[in-house]
Amino acid sequence: MSRKELREKAKILAKEHGYLPYMIERYLVLWGEKETLQFLEACEKPLRTSIRVNTLRADQEVVIKRMKGKKIILERIPWLDSGFYGDFTETSTPGAFLEHMLGFYYVQGVPSMTTVQVLDPQPNETVFDLAAAPGGKTTHIAQQMHNTGRVLAIEQDRQRLNSLESNILRCGVTNAIVYRGDAKKIQALNIQPDKILLDAPCSGEGLIPLDPTRKTSKTMADVHYCATRENEMLDAAISTLAPEGTIVYSTCSIAPEENEYIVDSILKKYPEIKIVPIPLDFGSAGYTEPFGVHLDESLRLARRFLPHQDGTEGFFICKMIKEAA
Amino acid sequence: MKLQLLDTIEWANISQSIETEFGEGISKKLLGDLTPIAITERDIRTIYLIPLSWMSVVLEEVPAGFDFHLVGKQLGVMTKDRFRLSLQILPDMLKLTTKVLIVSRRGAEAFTYGRSILKESIVWYDPELKRGQRVLVVNEDNDCLGIAALSTDAERINRLSQDSLVGKNLVDIGWFIRRLG
Repeated sequence: MSRKELREKAKILAKEHGYLPYMIERYLVLWGEKETLQFLEACEKPLRTSIRVNTLRADQEVVIKRMKGKKIILERIPWLDSGFYGDFTETSTPGAFLEHMLGFYYVQGVPSMTTVQVLDPQPNETVFDLAAAPGGKTTHIAQQMHNTGRVLAIEQDRQRLNSLESNILRCGVTNAIVYRGDAKKIQALNIQPDKILLDAPCSGEGLIPLDPTRKTSKTMADVHYCATRENEMLDAAISTLAPEGTIVYSTCSIAPEENEYIVDSILKKYPEIKIVPIPLDFGSAGYTEPFGVHLDESLRLARRFLPHQDGTEGFFICKMIKEAA
Repeated sequence: MKLQLLDTIEWANISQSIETEFGEGISKKLLGDLTPIAITERDIRTIYLIPLSWMSVVLEEVPAGFDFHLVGKQLGVMTKDRFRLSLQILPDMLKLTTKVLIVSRRGAEAFTYGRSILKESIVWYDPELKRGQRVLVVNEDNDCLGIAALSTDAERINRLSQDSLVGKNLVDIGWFIRRLG
């Protein structure tokens, strides 16, 4: 397809599906026409509701039984320890159940749960959760650590701190220290964590199945703005991480500029940082040549969730370690 | 926000407040091997319990641009006039006290929507409870739903009509949802 043909095609599809033309043009270059159409179609379908059973408050079997009593059958998500699909269409919203108020579960997207499973926090470690609100990942990290060690959750936005606090209290998390502050300045805390989760604030392009307004709400300039901030946050996180520490970088964007490009520049800047395989069976490989730009080959070890392949929101997850000097 | 260790007088006041309502020795059991600290914002002091090993981190000067918002296990909030228990500590409290009011499924549902407790919802109560007493509100599955203040002596409950108020809702777990709109 010539450049002109591609533009024309993008214009038609954008009008048909309600997107900004630049987005479709990028999808066509990235995936080709067939996959782009599959993506556009998948974004119109509702996503399955998923929950994480919070074992800090209740045993999995208890929650499964109690929800069954309320006509909610929970179906285990294969690669997740505590993740379940639940069909709430015939009942109240998942947040309205007593078991939710009791902190027995957290309503959470499959990719969000997967990031913490990939990080694999262990009891008694010190773990940073950057840009932590609303707290799905903070509470999941605490759960994996059995409320031991320390989770240092950093969030700058005052309003979002309220939701982070609520969820920490509701889920019975007692090993969290919540700071209000800028995650780009975490070196000032003078703590070298064993693990860091950076689910960076992003353009949210992967969330179109959940929020159709995203089809038209962000320009390419917004993507570049987010990419700059993500780069700064990841840079600060890498500098803070303890030698032999692990970091997971993720976003709910599908734009390579916010994902593979960011990690590639970090790999160039910090030779001690290496991408490591993710030993869980989900998603597809990260891109090593998006838009014809050649990136580090190890980026294929990163994983992507895509709506048309995985039935989830779009997401990027990359696990890295900092080798000892 | 300022983070401080609690002095013995303040801790004694909080302990007394908890034990007057829920029974002797409870505050010591809640404390276990943790240390009480407070985060102060204006005239509200939120009390947390933290492991001793955290002291070096939390008592160090917080760098410019950072502020503590929450630390460890939240015990409650001290305002000008009184101490209020945190919802987070209620499951721990339930294991330690008999000052409870067990309510029916319907009563439990209404309570988590912020309503108070009527006699018709009561399934069980400690007959020693007195008017004004704080009690944990519990459903028939033994889940703690919040705190209520008794509006009558327990020995008088039997004489009340079905629609009489028995427990005024002070705080309930529905707050987690209502707070976020």
